[in-house]
Amino acid sequence: MPRHEELELLMVRYQNGDASAVTELVETLSPPLYRFFTSQFVSRRFADDLLQETWLKIHEVRHTYRPGEPVLPWIYAIARHTRVDHYRRTRRVEDREQQVEQLPEAAATAAPDSRGFDLEAVLRQLPESQREVVVMLKVADMSLEEVARATSSSVGSVKQKAHRAYEKLRGLL
Amino acid sequence: MTPEPVNPVLLERIDASLRRDLRPVRPRASTGVQVAVLLAIYAAVALAGARYFGYYGWRRLSTGAAGLIFPALGGLALLAAAASANAMTPGSKRPAHPAVLLGVVCALMVAIFAVLFGDHRTDRFVPQGVSCLRAGLMWALPAAAGTWLVLRRGFAVDGGAAGMAMGTLAGLAGLTMLELHCPNFRLPHIAVWHTAAVPVSALAGYFLGSKRKAAELMQ
Repeated sequence: MPRHEELELLMVRYQNGDASAVTELVETLSPPLYRFFTSQFVSRRFADDLLQETWLKIHEVRHTYRPGEPVLPWIYAIARHTRVDHYRRTRRVEDREQQVEQLPEAAATAAPDSRGFDLEAVLRQLPESQREVVVMLKVADMSLEEVARATSSSVGSVKQKAHRAYEKLRGLL
Repeated sequence: MTPEPVNPVLLERIDASLRRDLRPVRPRASTGVQVAVLLAIYAAVALAGARYFGYYGWRRLSTGAAGLIFPALGGLALLAAAASANAMTPGSKRPAHPAVLLGVVCALMVAIFAVLFGDHRTDRFVPQGVSCLRAGLMWALPAAAGTWLVLRRGFAVDGGAAGMAMGTLAGLAGLTMLELHCPNFRLPHIAVWHTAAVPVSALAGYFLGSKRKAAELMQ
């Protein structure tokens, strides 16, 4: 992951219509964004859809990024918004169709690592709000302040969620 | 943690679709500039409304009361303008939810009115009150329209909260107009009907913001 200043420069080039900046941003930010989606119980197919939708939304509102501001909270706020919208839309459709004969697609699971330890499964034990904070802090490498901005909450609230999540994880491991 | 690989075909597809429409865009103005413009709209609407109805309240107010009410209203309008601008920018700082701001606005203004005005009579409470509330909301409308015009290029990740912040600012413009205009200094009248312009306007904003979001989801 490039340093924050590099991401800011890439965003400014993106706003100026630089095609190489787009490619670099998509390649750099897509893996952690994808990880963010798969950690929220969504299937691989939904994660693909969410990633695509998020980038389209980012493209549509790229003028709302203000040069000099941190990029990651801006990106993750949009990703979070896309995920919530997608969830609501899916629920609406499911409520209408009431498809009971089809079982929901299994959630995407990462293969356990060589030690046989599956952190993904452990993360699933956490409530959604805590899991989201842990993924932003540990996978996207964001600061507490950045997570607070991305989740439209206060630093204190993020600290509290992270603390509770670590306590729970410690108990599970 | 084993990272989940992203399908390279998907990445190529995303990249290609973004490159297809890659015209340069102009970033939005800074929060400071947006807040300054919003405050100018707030003041212009409040003053225009008071000029239209007459500055009867302003003429009757003591210097001390005016010195407490209007700086408080200005300060709260500053907070509401900042909350509105931030609500329309993804990933910006949000020290408190707009609902908290609304609560602070109502509590603080009622407390100030309670300290300043001691007349508790309630005759003609409803007819006079409804007329003031109607006037306050009537002048909150242009403030809301101006606020929306300034912030329309933004993007709200939480439509309801953004609508509530904008509604609070518009309601404050209505309340300020009423304080400049209304010469009725009875505490129940001011505390209930004048202050009500803010929550009614904020809730209307919340409703419209949420409705807009629901309409997007239906598409």
